[in-house]
Parts: sequence; C-alpha cells; structure tokens
Amino acid sequence: MNKELRRILIILTSICTLFVSLIVYMSYFQIFRAEAVKNNSYNKRLWIDEEKILRGSIIDRNGKILAYSEKSNDDIYKRFYNYGGLYSHIIGYSYREYGKVGLELEYNNILLNIDETTPFHELKSIVKPNTEGNTLKLTIDHHLQEYSRGLLGGKKGAIVAMDPKTAEVYAMVSFPDFNLSNLREEWNDIMEDEDKPFFNRATSGAYIPGSTFKVLTAMAILEDLDPNSQYECTGSVTIDGRTINDYEGRAHGKVNLEEALVKSCNSYFASKGVQVGKDRLGKLAGDFMINRQIPFDIPAAISTFPNKENLGKVDIAAASIGQGKVLMTPLNMALVVSGIANKGEVLQPTLVKEIISPEGEIIQNNEMEKISNGVSIFTANEIKNMMVEVVRRGTGTNAGIQNTRVAGKTGTAENPSGKSHAWFAGFAPADDPRIAVVVVLEEAGSTGGKAAAPIARNIMVEALNTLE
Amino acid sequence: MYSIVSLIFKYIFIAIIYLFILSIIRLIYLDIKGIDTTILDNTNYLKLINRKDSLPFKIEEYYVLKDIMEVGRANDNEIVIRDPYVSKKHLRMAKDEGDFYLEDLDSANGTYVNGDRIMDVVRLKNGDRIRVGQVEFLYVDRE
Amino acid sequence: MFKRRINYRVPRNLLVLFELLALVLVFVYYKDDFNRNILMLGAALIAMIYIASFVLLRISSGDNYIFLIVTMLISIGIIMIYRIDPELGIKQIIWTGVGILLFFITYFIVKNIDGWRNWILLYGGASIGLFLLTLLFGNRIKGSLNWIVLGRFSFQPTEIIKILLIFLLASYYANHERYKRVQNSNYYLVGVLYLFIGFLFIQRDLGTVLLFYSIFSAIQFIYEEDRKLILYNALFFLISGIIGYFTFSHVRVRFETWLNPWIYIDNKGYQITQSLFAIATGGFFGTGIGLGYPDFIPEVHTDFIFSAICEEMGIFTGIGLIMLFLILVYRGFKIALNQEDKFFKIVALGISVLFGIQSFIIFGGVLKMIPLTGITIPFVSYGGSSMLASFMALGILQVASEDLDLEGIGDE
Repeated sequence: MNKELRRILIILTSICTLFVSLIVYMSYFQIFRAEAVKNNSYNKRLWIDEEKILRGSIIDRNGKILAYSEKSNDDIYKRFYNYGGLYSHIIGYSYREYGKVGLELEYNNILLNIDETTPFHELKSIVKPNTEGNTLKLTIDHHLQEYSRGLLGGKKGAIVAMDPKTAEVYAMVSFPDFNLSNLREEWNDIMEDEDKPFFNRATSGAYIPGSTFKVLTAMAILEDLDPNSQYECTGSVTIDGRTINDYEGRAHGKVNLEEALVKSCNSYFASKGVQVGKDRLGKLAGDFMINRQIPFDIPAAISTFPNKENLGKVDIAAASIGQGKVLMTPLNMALVVSGIANKGEVLQPTLVKEIISPEGEIIQNNEMEKISNGVSIFTANEIKNMMVEVVRRGTGTNAGIQNTRVAGKTGTAENPSGKSHAWFAGFAPADDPRIAVVVVLEEAGSTGGKAAAPIARNIMVEALNTLE
Repeated sequence: MYSIVSLIFKYIFIAIIYLFILSIIRLIYLDIKGIDTTILDNTNYLKLINRKDSLPFKIEEYYVLKDIMEVGRANDNEIVIRDPYVSKKHLRMAKDEGDFYLEDLDSANGTYVNGDRIMDVVRLKNGDRIRVGQVEFLYVDRE
Repeated sequence: MFKRRINYRVPRNLLVLFELLALVLVFVYYKDDFNRNILMLGAALIAMIYIASFVLLRISSGDNYIFLIVTMLISIGIIMIYRIDPELGIKQIIWTGVGILLFFITYFIVKNIDGWRNWILLYGGASIGLFLLTLLFGNRIKGSLNWIVLGRFSFQPTEIIKILLIFLLASYYANHERYKRVQNSNYYLVGVLYLFIGFLFIQRDLGTVLLFYSIFSAIQFIYEEDRKLILYNALFFLISGIIGYFTFSHVRVRFETWLNPWIYIDNKGYQITQSLFAIATGGFFGTGIGLGYPDFIPEVHTDFIFSAICEEMGIFTGIGLIMLFLILVYRGFKIALNQEDKFFKIVALGISVLFGIQSFIIFGGVLKMIPLTGITIPFVSYGGSSMLASFMALGILQVASEDLDLEGIGDE
C-alpha cells in the first residue's frame, strides 16, 4: 500500500470512529441517562402534559381531603394543600419550580393516571385522552396526625403511630416541617434552616436508640439464655477495662431479665449481650429489618447494627444497650414494637390504603404483607408481658392508661453530638393491640420516661377513643 | 385524528429511512464487488487478483471475455491498463472452439501465466494466473 | 436464471414514498383549513428531486449515491423545519430548488473549465477579500459577526470560503513539486490558514474555526512531506486553544456549559439543557411529528434541528441521520480514491471531511458529547447560504467522481 492511500484510510477511519462514537454515545444517553434528564423539573414538557390532567386528590382514611387540584384562571390545574405543614413529609409537594417529593413523587403516575410509555398506551392516551387522575386514600387518620403533631409542642422529633396488626400508619410526624402552601415565599429560608425542615425524621432520621434497643437484646437473651438466672447489679459493669454505668450510677441489686428490663438495667444487658454475642444480636436485629431496606411508600433510611464490623467486647456491650454504633429510625422502631404486638411477625408498613379511579372504583387495595418472620409467638408474648411491667411499675409509668394494659419501653440515648434523645416505643392494649406508637424527641435533654412516654400515652388514649 | 396518523407515521418514517440506508449500502456493496457476480454466470472472465485500491491507475475488478480482445496501454485496446510496465499493445486473447488462447504481442516486459513467461500461444485453463506488468488476473471459465 | 442488477430505483422510490407520506401528514394536519400552496410546493419539490436524480444518472458517469443520500437528508430537514415554522419550511423548499439548480450549474462550470489547479492566488485572495468584507460590512447576528446583509438577503461569506479553502489546499498540494521549490512555502500555507482562523475568531465563529482546522489538518496529514510541520501545527493549535480559553470569556463559556450545563440551566446552559430534554423526551421512536415541543429550544431550526428530529422522530431517526452522513463521507472518500487527477482527488477529500466534520461538530455539540459551537448541519438545517454552499460542494464532488483523466492523457 502506498503512503497516500494509507493516510487517506487513516483519516477515513478516524471520521468513521467519530461517527460511531456519536451513535454509541447517543444510545448510551438514551438508555442510561434519558430518564433522569427527562424528569428534571426544568423540563417544561413534563408540566405541559401534567397541567392538562386533573391531578388526583389525596385523602385520609376517613375521606378527609388533604391535597387536591383545581383549574385556575389560565386553564391549567393548580395544586392545593389543605393543612400547611402537617403533611409535608408524607404527601410532599408537586411544584413546577421545585419538582416533586414524597407521595406526590412516588405516586406521580397514579395521581395523573398515566402509564409507562409503550406504543399501546401512547395510542390509547391519544384516542381517549385522560383528563383526570386517581385519588390516593391514605392509611393516615387526620385527627390523630394533627393531634400527634400538637403534642410535640414545637420540639424537634418524630412520631410514628400505626396499627400493629396491619402495619397501616395512622400518623407520622416529623418536626420541624414546612408549610406546603407557602413554599415559594419560604423556599430560601427552609433551605438554609439548620434544623433541616425538609428532612423526614420519622423515616430517615437515624437515631441512637438507647434503652429502647434493650427490647431486642432481651429477645435474644430470652431465646438463648436462662431469663430467670439472677444477676447482681452494682450500678456499673467493667468489660475489658471499660466501665459501663447504670443511669445515675444506681445499683439495681439482684435482677433477672424481667427486672432488668423494667428497671432498664445497663449492667445486666451489657454483660448478657456480650454473652449472647454480636452474631446472634445481629441476626435478631435483621429479623426486625435493621440493616435491611424497609419497603415503604416513601423513601426510608436503613437502620444499622454493627454486627458485620470487627467488634470488641466493649463495643458489643455498648450495642446491647443501644449505644455505640447502633442507629435506628423511628419507623423501624415502630416495626419492632408492632412485630412484638403482632405475635412476632413483621409486616410491611403502608401509607396508601387504596387507589380510587376517577369513576370512584377502587382499583388497588393495599394487601397486608409479611416482610420478616421476626420472633416466635412465645418470645413475642414473653417480651410483651415484660414490657407491660415496664409501664406498670418501671421506667415507663408515665405511659400508663387506666383500665388498659400498655406495653412499652423507654430510652434515653446518649448523643455524642449534643443532649440526649428521649425515646418511647410501645403499644396498647397489650392483650389485643390496636395502636403502636414510637416517640423520639431529638436532643430533649430529658429521659424517655419523663419526656416521651406522656406524649405516647396521650396518642394511645386518643387513638383508642377515636379510631374505629 | 392527526395525532393518530402522526403516531403511526413515526414508525413508518423510521422504517423507510432504514430501508433507504440499507438499499444504498447494498448498492455500494455490489458496486465494490465490481459487478453482481451472478451476471458472470456462463461466461469466461478475468478477475483482478491485486487489491483494486493498491494500483495507482484505473482498473476494473472483472473483465468479461469476448471472442477477440487485446490488452495494452493504448486507448484502442478492449482492455486498457495504464500501467507504465504494460506495452501499448501487450497481449491478445482469442476464442477458438470454446477455449481461450493467450498470445503475447512482443511486449517489452512480457506476459506471465502461472509465473512462467510465455513465448508461444497458450491455451487458458480455469484458474490460470495471468500477470501483465504490475497487474495479475485470474482466468475463470464458467461456461 | 434470475438476474439481479444494480438498481437505483429502490432507494429513489423509498425517498419518494417518504416525501409523499410527509405530504399526507401535512394534508391530514390541515384538513380543516386546507392550504393548497404547500401541497403544490411539496409536490413540485418531490418532482424536482425525482427528475434531478433521473437526469443526473443520464448526464454524469460518476457517483450516483451522493445526490440520493443528500436528498434524503434534505427531506428529513424540510419536514422538521416545516413542522417548527411553516413559513421557514416553505423558504427552505425554495432554497432547496435553487440549490439543486446551483448543483447542476456548478457541475457544468467546474467540469468544463480547465485550470482550476492553477489559480491558488485567486482562492487565497478571494477568501481574504470576503473576510475583510465581512469585517467591514458584517452584521452581528446571534453573537457571531459573520453575516453580510444585502437588501433583503443576508448571507454568510464563510460558507463560500470553506470551498475556497478546499480549492486553495488542493491547488497547493496538486502542484506540490512546483511550490516545493519556493523555500518554506508550506509554512506560508500554514500562515494563511491561521490568518483565516484569526478572522473567524474575530467573528466569534468557533465552530467554523474547528471545521477549517480539521479540513486543513486532514489534507496536510495526507500530503505534507514535512511531517514535523504537522506536529507543529497540532501543538500550535493546542496552545492557542489554551490561551483562548484563558483570555476570551466566550471560549470559556463553551467549556463550562459543556462540563456541567445543569448549574447554568437558567442562563448560559439553557440551550444545551433544553436540547437534552428534547432528546431524552423523544426516546427511541420519538413523540411523533407535531406531538412534541421542540420549539422550547432556542435556535431549533438551525443549530438545534437535530434535537428536534430526535424528539419527534426518535433517536432511531437521529442515528439514521448520522448513518446517512457516514455513507456520504464514505462515498466522498471512495470518490477521492478512484480519482486519478490529484487536484480533484484532494478537493473530494476536502469536501468529504467538510461534510463529515461539520455534521459531527453539531451532532456532538447538541448531544453534549463535545463543547457546543454554533454551526449548521449541511443540507438539514434551515438556511440559504448553508444550503447553497453545500449544494455547490456537492456539485464539485459530483465532478470529482467522474473519470477526468481519460481524455487528458495521450499515448507516448
């Protein structure tokens, strides 16, 4: 081959390579990137199509309208939110400028009644253009939601209340929240707020669980060790040269498992936890969805128990009493107590009860679904009885209700970055559980028994009185 | 109404564009092969062995043989090869009783069949390699 | 036995079918308020393309594909332009008609005049003259100072200079032996190129800078015997690119919006992100013509026509468009390889590189694969200057595809 020909072919090959790389890049873009680009809130196309459709309403379990759309004067639909910030972390918002979050995002296609774009649906949507979206009926009870938020009294924290037998969420509060109706005016303030109002503490706030975690440790002890063996609590225990103190250094004397849980005895759980071992604790935690993704209608963070890490005895002891590297979301804690209430079975939590078509038909009904086996019914019952004692005569007396057996556990989590968090997790009535509640007060600086238990009690009373 | 038509047409348009591209590529492919070889059935022809692109002068991939043909650099030959090593009148091929015979016309650089310079008239057999100057042909008998 | 023959009817008929269907679509769209003009005009265009390709087959012994490929490109372009703005669509149809006429005129002039290889000074002088004219009388349209307005018409001299540049390069290297005797003549050539690039830079026409440089480098790579010069040229371009980046904000803007347009979505990244939205929304098959929103993209009928095509006719059509250009470039190179005449061989190479690189620059730009520089897609984008210049180049390529040496060389 002569030089000229070779060089011409080099140039031809280079241009061909350029063109082929164009085709490859285009295909790559379309397959992997297009979806994200298309859904960018600056893409006006999304809104042009959407604003022609009456976006479905969102209603609570009793039919109360929480969010709805209405035609504005320039012939496009606008979204309205009825209760300010009350549902900011559940419903979220759908605004042209700021995009979508929460159920508005996760259920967008259902609210607009649009299908994935396949040729068939495309044709259908043109032959019979859809003008009205589906309605979402939530499991939320508006009254309980409002009542719960009121009880937080403006303090930072989260509340999750659910039906332990179905895992339907009655109320889910995260505070601070933000007013959905004034988003345009307040956007910058919200973005800069150090308390992070956008953050959903109930599903994504990973808190140190403190003593509430002892419920899980107790189940492991109950299944592996003798729950009745006596332990001498001296107010502290030294493991590998490190001392773990009881609350205010108080010695609890001779305790078995039940007494230890009732008095929330750190020494007992720390030493027994080490005995049980991290693998056993990790397995049990996993059975209650810790270290696993909880399937939920809105995004939820994963709680963590460090059993995969290389732990010393001290770390295991700390983890056994819910300190150290253990982190739990309020939602996950609600699943733990609901599981105990529900004979040991863990169900998938739900926010959306029904999807109702524009014609009023129920087109999808939320089915109850078991997501984990949890513990045996025997273990669940034993722990339940111990938790009843916690409320009757232990750290959780503030959660007690007259004539009703309440099961619960308090927690006061030492927070390395500030004041301690106050926890309460429980359910009522213990014999036929109808409501499970978790309350977390962020940096409350008070104990779970004093700060969180009374709030949980009031919610349980209100739920038992008002829910059908 | 318009939307439905447009929706259906978009698939048709894509189909047509690709059919168009394919038919062009097919034509070019046939073009590169020289001519469609099926029309060479039942003929005798010379097939170029050199890569066509490697020769610095114009040449065809195939030459169908007629009863009498002359090859050379001058324009009045049936097959014109502008190779400087080819004489103006280089060789002649003629058909007699179904066979083709090759005869060198006193060329300066000679004609080679299967590597041997020919001195006399040679009867061509299927598969013979004929070299003229820088060009080499394969003789194919498909009759 | 059944004999298949090379048959140009298949693609030609497909093309006519494609255009007729497009007319049907227009007809359905306007069925209530019926507009006869556009149907007449459309039919006239189809007839013209059909007749032209038929006539070409008779009069030219050269390549028969390039004209077909180009008419397909034009058809896709006109459909999209008409859909975006019917008024521009009609203008584009007229430009296409004039373009086809110019194609034949160019073909005959270039074929029947001898001596093209000897007028190197004319090409250089005319180019510089046109650049100076632009500088003196030019109007700045859309940030680029490269339009000359004459009464009702405005045109871009750079479109002509592209062809002059190719002729300049071809006549230099076709007479390389002669010019080599002038000392450092190849350095003068590089000097002329950088003079051109300098003019373009003043006009802020970065896409054309890239294009001129690519054409020059390709030809130089093939024919320059002083290989060191090629290296110097590449280095010099790189260095001036870096200097340009740090000294001129409009160069920097191109890079910044390429690296991450999303953070400038409200201002300088607006165009490119709108283009990406369009392409992403279209998917593989597109929304269907008239059912998308390509008009959200600024400049959609010229620089961003490709995004509009992708949105409404799908990525598959986009890929088809790229493949059409690929075949066109391939044919151009094939023409160059078969051409004995060195001048026309280089001209064919130059025109092929021109079509290839120009379309690549803008395809890659609107896809955000390379930094975006405003430039038209030959034959597809709206624009008279671009259309006419492209047809002129095509006419020259058609001449180059024929055997030009047969009569010229006699017997020794």
